[in-house]
Amino acid sequence: MTRRLSFVLMVSLIAILLVPFGVQAQSDANVLRIPISPDPEHLNPFTGTTIAISNILNNVYEGFFKLNQETGQPEPALAESFDVSDDRLTYTFHLRKGILFHEIPGVTYENGDREFKADDWIWAANLSASGDEKISSHPEWTESIVGAADVKDGKATEISGIKKIDDYTIEVTLASPNRLFLVNLGVPAISKQAYDQLGDKFGETPVGTGPFRFVEWMRDDHITLEANPDYWVEGEPKVAGVRFINAPDSNTALLQYRQGELDFLFGFPTGQRAATVAEFQSEYHELPGLNVRYFGFKMDQGFFAENPKVRQAFAYAFNRDLVWNELMEGARFPADLGYLPPSMPAATPANIYAYDPDKAAQLLTDAGFPNGEGIPPIDLYVFSSAADELSLPVLQEDLRKLGVTLNIQVEDASTYWDHIGEDDVIMFLSGWSAGVVDPSDVFNFLFYKGRDDTKYDNKDVNDILDQALIETDPAKLEVLYQKAHDLITADSPWIVSAYSKVAWLQKPNIEDFNPGGGGAHTARLAEVSIKAA
Amino acid sequence: MSKYIIRRLVQIIPTMLGVFTVLFILAYLMPGDPVRSVLGEEYKRMKPEVVEGVRDQLGLNDPFIVRYAKFLGRMVRLDLGESFILKQSVWDIIGYRLPRTIQLMAGGMFVALLIGLPAGILAAEKQYSWVDHGLMLLSLVGVSMPVFWLGLLAQLLLTQEKYGIALFPVAGYEEGSVIHMILPSLVLGTALSAEIARVTRSSMLEVNSKDYITTARSKGLPYRVVLLRHQLRNALIPIITIVALDIGYLLGGSLVTETIFNWPGLGRAIVPAIQRQDTPVILGILIFGAFMFVIINLLTDLIYALVNPRIRFA
Repeated sequence: MTRRLSFVLMVSLIAILLVPFGVQAQSDANVLRIPISPDPEHLNPFTGTTIAISNILNNVYEGFFKLNQETGQPEPALAESFDVSDDRLTYTFHLRKGILFHEIPGVTYENGDREFKADDWIWAANLSASGDEKISSHPEWTESIVGAADVKDGKATEISGIKKIDDYTIEVTLASPNRLFLVNLGVPAISKQAYDQLGDKFGETPVGTGPFRFVEWMRDDHITLEANPDYWVEGEPKVAGVRFINAPDSNTALLQYRQGELDFLFGFPTGQRAATVAEFQSEYHELPGLNVRYFGFKMDQGFFAENPKVRQAFAYAFNRDLVWNELMEGARFPADLGYLPPSMPAATPANIYAYDPDKAAQLLTDAGFPNGEGIPPIDLYVFSSAADELSLPVLQEDLRKLGVTLNIQVEDASTYWDHIGEDDVIMFLSGWSAGVVDPSDVFNFLFYKGRDDTKYDNKDVNDILDQALIETDPAKLEVLYQKAHDLITADSPWIVSAYSKVAWLQKPNIEDFNPGGGGAHTARLAEVSIKAA
Repeated sequence: MSKYIIRRLVQIIPTMLGVFTVLFILAYLMPGDPVRSVLGEEYKRMKPEVVEGVRDQLGLNDPFIVRYAKFLGRMVRLDLGESFILKQSVWDIIGYRLPRTIQLMAGGMFVALLIGLPAGILAAEKQYSWVDHGLMLLSLVGVSMPVFWLGLLAQLLLTQEKYGIALFPVAGYEEGSVIHMILPSLVLGTALSAEIARVTRSSMLEVNSKDYITTARSKGLPYRVVLLRHQLRNALIPIITIVALDIGYLLGGSLVTETIFNWPGLGRAIVPAIQRQDTPVILGILIFGAFMFVIINLLTDLIYALVNPRIRFA
């Protein structure tokens, strides 16, 4: 008896360890499986500001134009064409006919008419100009249009500079010429009927005119889109649908990719980058990104403001190649060109701070600090981030060789972003992602009238940037930005550390996945196809 | 009995008031600014007045006393508030994720009992034999393995053709799918099973030397009846205690397990909430967790009486 019971217990122990299950990776043959993390906060295009949100909404909504991935120039989408007046103040947009809003449960279109018309766009533009953050976070979409400021301040509900000519023609008047107007004009086609009928649910049920329509969102799990059968581009989308799978752990995502549960992999587990790339050599793709990482100096007061040569010396002293190519296994490009991401026009300034410790030492001597004598210990403020971690000891060591003591102060991200603007921080780690391939998207935020945490404010640079905003001739524009870049480089307000890389794995049967430098989320999924095995 | 239950329920009120206050003060003292932490480097794109407007809307510009009073007022009305970031009410966030976390915890507990009880009984019955030593050594290993490491190991060996056999999906949640539950439950339950096995063993051994067991045996009762009805039943109290305590451990362990296995439970809401200082979500989930814990303790005390009728509540 004893023996029998022991036997039963043993067997039950073993049985659960050897559950005989076989598994096939579940897959609908023609559905893209794309990893995401974090989950989007919500799916409301008016208030969405994060990549997690646009990653999804880029495929559901579209506007008058789509941006060319390489040039950053707008190309016609829902606006078939447009005319510009000679003074560059009046734009007349001609809308494509027969564009239909998605059919979605919970939305009933009046008389069954789903067509996108001028009224829909004008309504969305007016709403997006609202100054109430609960309604819109995108006043920049319309801010150069006459009357947009009044809507923002609550003095009007309609932008006076937008006129409906007929159902398919809209006239827009600008307050002053602005070469970036079309790039910034992000107002998508949104159905007012859907917005009103969905109410609170609008923020989790996107309804647009784009190549994919929304099916389901299981928070922190997956988001499903299916091909829009009425899409206006012949032959698109090429797949039956997209399933965005939330994979918060990059290691798990790698295992899922290897087992064929995912078609793409966008993040590499720390320390496994080179091994992963080597394992999937033919499935690896990369292109230069639009993010710049840097160590900023405080330029309006403090030690660095008074010692420009020290700033230059530090920029020469930093061995970026060691950090990014060797220690970080090629996670980013070492930033030895200039302050702009390398894919932008005017990206190479006249003088570059290539790694040169001798020159750095010489500059310190010139500045009156031979062998670093007289330079106070410097606090470098950083936020905890695995991506930048290894650049810190390298910089510390490079500066130690110059005789400079660098203390690294790590702060929690939420404290840090608030702190670095304060006067007591004179050196800090930061980064910036340009949204479009245009120098203005870097310069105007970081080197314009003290707007950035460095408080960099150079009158000559400000003037050039103002001029550039209204210059429309690309050649003259590049000259202006080159001039600005040279001036900024001479001032050396940063040690530029790295330019981002958009790098990913994709399964061999995936074709035409073409993201831009902004990141993987900018790829038009409508063009992607899955080759039959 | 009912008087006892009512008294215990009333005691929950001051306990929860303490929980509210301590958690609120901790959240208030957290340095940093949720608005800036959400925007990160992107805040430069936002106009300062927009950022200030958002802060006003979230009530972040109110003084401590006003925020605390508002918070207590909401708690009394059972309103956990709305997430700063997700545009969802905290109840919705909990309501959506809780069933999944409970499912995972139940799976973990099932595995823990399924391995732990028989292993403990077996070890006790075969005291000082190689079976006993082997099982106790295994359980020592089990207790010592961190969940994330075990999870990774399980994934490598049981889901990857490259390193082992692909028996299970790597990760993910499917409504009603048992196969997706097996690995996470196994990982979550293994460490616990080790603990249950050890407690079961020692408790069984202690009962084994009691006179009533000797009596039962000498009466000629069948082995199984003595073991299950006399010995195990009397050994259950310490086991129930450890199981109840371990529910807290399961909740903690499920946070890690959920991340490794892409499991959309509570942990997946609270981790990003902490990173982004989404205070209402952090507080809501913690308060809910504290409440659950208080209730589970109460239930445990009641179960004692069921298992051992000699325990009476006055």
